[in-house]
Amino acid sequence: MNTLSPDGLLLLGILWPLLLTFLLASRVLRAPALYLAPWAALPALAASLLVAPSEMRWYFSDILLGSEIGLDATGQALLLLAALLWLVSGIYARAYLSRSTRCTEFYTFFLLSMAGNFGLIMVQDLIGFYFCFALMNFAAYGLVVFDRSTAALRAGQVYITMVVAGELLLFVALLIAAEITSATTFDTLRADLALVDPVSRNWVILLGVAGFGIKAGVFGLHVWLPLAYPAAPAPASAVLAGTMINAGLLGWLQLLPLGEIPLPGWGVITIILGLTGAFYGVAVGLTQREPKVLLAYSSISQMGVITMALGLGMLVPDAWPLILPVIVFYALHHGLSKGALFLGVDLAGYTNRTQRRWIWLGIWLPALALAGAPWTSGMLAKQLLKTTTLYAPLPWDSLLPLLLSFSAFTTALLMVRLLYLVRPDAQPSGVTPAAGLISPWLILLLTILLVPGWLAFLMPDLETGTISVDESLWPIVIALIIAWAVLRLGMFRKIPPLPAGDVLVLMERSLRLLYALGNGLISLIYRWQKWQIWLEACFIDRLMAAKERIQKMEDNFARWEVAILFVVIIALCMGVIARAYCCV
Amino acid sequence: MNWSIWLPPLVVASSLLPGLIIFFLAEKKVFLRTVLNLTGALAKLLLTGWMLWGVYHGYQYETNVSFLPGLELVLRADPLSLLFVSLSSILWLLTTIYAIGYLEGAPHRSRFFGFFSLCVTSTTGIALSGNFITFLLFYELLTLVTYPLVIHRGTEKARQAGKIYLIYTLSSGALLLLGTMWLYTITGTLDFRPQGILRDLGDENHLALIVIFVLLIAGLGVKAALVPLHGWLPQAMVAPAPVSALLHAVAVVKAGAFGIVRVVYDIFGVDFAAELGVTGPLAVVAAVTIIYGSLRALFQDNLKRRLAFSTVSQVSYIILGVAIAGPVASIGGIVHLVHQGLMKITLFFCAGNLAETLGVHKIREMNGAGRRMPWSMAAFTIGAFGMIGTPPIAGFISKWYLGLGALEAGQYWVISVLIGSSLLNAAYFLPVLHRIWFREPPHAWPAERNFGNKETAWALLLPPVVTALLALLAGLMASAWFSPLGWVQFIAQREF
Repeated sequence: MNTLSPDGLLLLGILWPLLLTFLLASRVLRAPALYLAPWAALPALAASLLVAPSEMRWYFSDILLGSEIGLDATGQALLLLAALLWLVSGIYARAYLSRSTRCTEFYTFFLLSMAGNFGLIMVQDLIGFYFCFALMNFAAYGLVVFDRSTAALRAGQVYITMVVAGELLLFVALLIAAEITSATTFDTLRADLALVDPVSRNWVILLGVAGFGIKAGVFGLHVWLPLAYPAAPAPASAVLAGTMINAGLLGWLQLLPLGEIPLPGWGVITIILGLTGAFYGVAVGLTQREPKVLLAYSSISQMGVITMALGLGMLVPDAWPLILPVIVFYALHHGLSKGALFLGVDLAGYTNRTQRRWIWLGIWLPALALAGAPWTSGMLAKQLLKTTTLYAPLPWDSLLPLLLSFSAFTTALLMVRLLYLVRPDAQPSGVTPAAGLISPWLILLLTILLVPGWLAFLMPDLETGTISVDESLWPIVIALIIAWAVLRLGMFRKIPPLPAGDVLVLMERSLRLLYALGNGLISLIYRWQKWQIWLEACFIDRLMAAKERIQKMEDNFARWEVAILFVVIIALCMGVIARAYCCV
Repeated sequence: MNWSIWLPPLVVASSLLPGLIIFFLAEKKVFLRTVLNLTGALAKLLLTGWMLWGVYHGYQYETNVSFLPGLELVLRADPLSLLFVSLSSILWLLTTIYAIGYLEGAPHRSRFFGFFSLCVTSTTGIALSGNFITFLLFYELLTLVTYPLVIHRGTEKARQAGKIYLIYTLSSGALLLLGTMWLYTITGTLDFRPQGILRDLGDENHLALIVIFVLLIAGLGVKAALVPLHGWLPQAMVAPAPVSALLHAVAVVKAGAFGIVRVVYDIFGVDFAAELGVTGPLAVVAAVTIIYGSLRALFQDNLKRRLAFSTVSQVSYIILGVAIAGPVASIGGIVHLVHQGLMKITLFFCAGNLAETLGVHKIREMNGAGRRMPWSMAAFTIGAFGMIGTPPIAGFISKWYLGLGALEAGQYWVISVLIGSSLLNAAYFLPVLHRIWFREPPHAWPAERNFGNKETAWALLLPPVVTALLALLAGLMASAWFSPLGWVQFIAQREF
């Protein structure tokens, strides 16, 4: 019974959602498959809880170019997060779509995306990862455009463009990596990348950081996030923002030679990119009035913090074994909170005041966690991150803690803004709460309370000893005071929200310019063609005229008078020539 | 009885005989014709399987017939020829099933299936040719027997397309013949040999050999649809869908590409060709074709025309892989011979299904087709993603090896061609997929036929589903012993 062993459980985690997708396609089995679909993440959840993380690999020599699956500690934490969120969102979606006739469509894309997400966590070889990444990303398009509204279609267009761009960047990155190291799995690749010549390595890093950066919402490549998250149905936004975003992070962790060699240049670039994202996300997010857009910007900001930690790891490879678990923990904390926030915001729909107030209070929990309030997973994550900055080289070791504290404060501000936007007497937005919607959400809230703490216990590498509560208290307090003052004094009311996708709007404008230029070129070519036709026509006219003239000449020649004339002329000429010769 | 002599001609005869008999069958004898067709196709498949097994275990299959003094007709089964024979025999079987469903009740079916079988006969002959003169013979035969298929509908447009097809292919045939004769005067042999037949020639012949190479490639490039010799292919898409499928995936286009592979590998030899300096320009021509074909495909609204330009682009992957002149790139190129065939035939089958079932010919009419024909459109989706080069579909494997080979050979510019082509492929396939799956279907299709609770006739549905699965498996199980990739690695060992 191989399939029941822990290894088989891993495989089942990937294959079960795929199998359900196939069942959904058949007319007979659709009903039972739909019944099972919300629970499709259960095998993966079981795998994440039961399979002990190890370096053990399961090798499939026939699949792709030789595929391997396995689960290390990083993978286990991310799989746990992914499985939990997919499960909760799946159950949430069942009630969310209870009146929809398009359940099959939703779950088809949902399950495919899920399989890709689980797969990319477990798969340890380059091509397998690339496959799962593509599966997840392309299938998620169906979730982004599910509503078919104008906004959703535009979001889908931007999303798919970025996905294709990311795929191509990664293709080249993986190609170069595979060629210079001839490795097929990530662990040998990372080790070998440290040894090869820096030029090729830099290409791999550049393309990898950019390719996965699109998924991770790195500053500059983040434009699709604020469009796609709000456009997708809430359960899809929850998984997009909670777990699929981590695929980009995992890609970095797998591809980049972190902890192998110092990459000072890349480290600084990545830290700066991360910090820019962290503050930019908050700055733009604060201007938003749509809660889901705000949450998307919060994701950009939070991923910026994680990116910064990654940059730190590039700077100090020796500290990487300590930084890695912190990054993973941060991603876990962020994913769970963000998922709960997306679902919670969606629940602020048409209902009575009491219920809304309760839901509003419920939203406080993930919001506080994200802001890093005391005794939440956020406090743990942020403080752990701060301890890692001790290892940073000179300018950074004093700068980073300061900036991190400031980032915690700005995040708190953003969360206060969010809570203000979904306050009980605000315009209802989202769905009317029902038991089928609230119960999965409550489970998620409970998980946020319990799981991170439990996991922090389990992860021996985390230094949980140095946590201080006051340090995480003051950003929240200041943020609340500022919020109170702003509300009291009625400041900043007139700031218009920046358009979602911010720089995208600029890019689109320049694209439009390019498009106009292209159009101009096409019309120029077209005109040239017309001109050519006119030219040809003229030419043909002339040709015809010439032909007629020649014909006329021909006719003239045919007359016997002319013929005799010619004979005479020729005879005369010959005579002249002959005489000339004779004289010589 | 010595099978090793008889197997190659038997494989050719397995489609020749049914074809000849079918010509004399009355139009009404549907059953007999179907039986003949399917028996021939199955027999070919079986015989091919036998030869595959044999060649894999080191047996030799060769048949010689003397033709002209000093020139023999040779049919020989080597790994490369078997790759092409297997592809054509599998796809012939499926296309025959498809054609039976597609042409149900149409006029002139005996003529159609007769020429159809002859077309496959000549393709098999091309594949099994052991020297260039045999190749040439079957190559010209292919031109002649495909013409009636292109003009099968008999419309003004079809006849026009047929005329263009003939002008292109016959003039290219003349170039090819000229090149071959010249080659023969220099070498005195036209045998296909691993690593070529020209290595021992002196420097004084190099100029002549370069000219010969250009002549041969120009001759073969017409069928392989190299830009600027591709003009006939988008015209020829007026032919019925099974013919298009065969033209684009198995017979004509592939014969040209296969010929170029043969010329580079078994006449010139890769190393010698690289030494002559002809592979670089060939790679550039292939790259230009790849990008140009994709660019043209982007602006077509007629589905089959878009697919035709896509063929122009994709077939040149094969030539690019050969022209990069390295072992890994050639694996990518040659395996694309099979991969492109599987994916493109799927796409053409699906285009035919749309036309036959719903009367849809234009891309803008395809809105919501996924809801009406989920299985066909799922197959189409697999084919399209394969063309873009998304794993785990076969197209990815080709692209991966081409890219690796280009890096290995230090030809970094090829990567930008691959990326540009993938980008363009995404640009002209993804919007179609969006229409299929995410738009509302119209209230009424242009010309819908009713098939009860099925989406279309089973003979039309089965072939694309099978080929899509094969394309998926060829990529997903790329390292398995039975995959095209495995066989191509076997071929590459022989050449390098």
